[in-house]
Amino acid sequence: MTNAAPLIEGRDLTRQFPMTAGAVTALNHASIRIEAAEYVAITGPSGCGKSTLLHLLGCVDQPTSGSLTFEGRDVARLNETERSRIRLTRIGFVFQRFFLLPMLTAWENVELPQAEAGVPRSERRNRTRELLEYVGLADRIDHRPSQLSGGEMQRVAIARALANRPALLLADEPTGELDEVTGDQIADLFDRVHADGTAIVVVTHNATVAARAGRRLAMKSGRIVEAGKQ
Amino acid sequence: MTRLRLILFILLSAAGVAASFAATAAAPDALPAVLVSRQLAESARLHVGDTVTFALDAEGKGGRQFRVAGTYEPTPDPMKFTARRIEARMHLPDLVDVTAAQPDADSADAVDGINVRLAHPDDARAFGAAVMARAPGIFARPTARTGDGSDPFAVLDRFHFAIAVVTVVGSTAFLLALMVMRAEERRETVGIVRLIGISQRSILLEVLVEGLLIAAGGAIFGVLFALATQGAVNRFFQWRYDTALVFVRVTTRIALESVALAVPLGIVAGLVGSWTLLRRDVVAMVRR
Repeated sequence: MTNAAPLIEGRDLTRQFPMTAGAVTALNHASIRIEAAEYVAITGPSGCGKSTLLHLLGCVDQPTSGSLTFEGRDVARLNETERSRIRLTRIGFVFQRFFLLPMLTAWENVELPQAEAGVPRSERRNRTRELLEYVGLADRIDHRPSQLSGGEMQRVAIARALANRPALLLADEPTGELDEVTGDQIADLFDRVHADGTAIVVVTHNATVAARAGRRLAMKSGRIVEAGKQ
Repeated sequence: MTRLRLILFILLSAAGVAASFAATAAAPDALPAVLVSRQLAESARLHVGDTVTFALDAEGKGGRQFRVAGTYEPTPDPMKFTARRIEARMHLPDLVDVTAAQPDADSADAVDGINVRLAHPDDARAFGAAVMARAPGIFARPTARTGDGSDPFAVLDRFHFAIAVVTVVGSTAFLLALMVMRAEERRETVGIVRLIGISQRSILLEVLVEGLLIAAGGAIFGVLFALATQGAVNRFFQWRYDTALVFVRVTTRIALESVALAVPLGIVAGLVGSWTLLRRDVVAMVRR
């Protein structure tokens, strides 16, 4: 912990989902603080609330109770448009199932968030080329997701996540659908992204990936039960 | 009447009227001229210059001879499109002559309808009314539509309008259901773009443009399809009923009205379908 303002901080976060059989508490009074350029891994069994916490940190979902600040702004006070803007420009997402748009090429998938953010065309072109080279896919720019392997799709997803130079990269089981070798390549890529100054929070079951993080958090039954540092 | 160059459409096909046609090889120029309908000419194998005898008696008694001066296509009449147009046009004095020799008083009812077209169309209605007042049982009407709502086709127009309204309402409900289903198919895609921060406004704008293009394309296709098929439809029914009546006509106004109705409907249906997605939780949209 430092005295400087954190990149994102959640205090006493609780998230309940109303169900017909009664509310389910996915996150139970969890607190977390992520500093700029930090690399944090969150581990834990399925259903312990890892993804729910990640969705809250990514301003995709809102807590039932507790507070969340992103770069000093109270997320609860932001409307949907403002939260969308934060997701677009300050946070990058990488998911287990890649979530690329199937009708767009690798190039277009990476260019889309920049276009939405209003980046000028020439700048967009340079940035997209640079990112696809960064993830090692300069020769696959015109390929659609269906023409790419799992590892390649995940690299395109990482390039897309970095498109608007986010301060925070959130990854939910990024190696979950990849073999070990490809998973290691993705983990290497995360190391590079982190080394370039982007904060990363990765939710994973993969001990190898978690081991690369600077800080590891373990979750159980909606609570953060253990914290470790390398 | 002849000075007014009045031409009567004599409905000889009406019940009780018989006409006999006898073509002869030579016809004196002195004979009065008559025009025969195309259908009559084909039926009786008449040609220009032939001499024909018109009589009110099936045996041809008391008939008068005429020279076929030409054929004509009967004015299409939607009220009689199933009737064979076995007709002839003659000058009124000749008609009077033919009917004057009528041995059977009852068959005077043979002429029961007169379509009136005058050089001055504004006089046609008054003229028709005058004829009907003097000759009860004869229906004389202008060939031009009155436009005051009393026209029988105004009722048909209203009927067609009611059918159109029901069709549009039904189609709209179908279109909305279709667009909601279509939006549901794109649930994950919309979820992804919302997840990466594309705003609802941008998504709706995209849907708006997409809806506009599809609806405009669909409307234009519909109009072009109607234009392409109206000829086939008309030709079929004209062949079926042996008439020159135009059954289908896609006018500029109809085309514009169709586009003006279809495009906003398509856009609204697209927006409603998308709005059902945009109201949903993003995480739920991308969850399997």
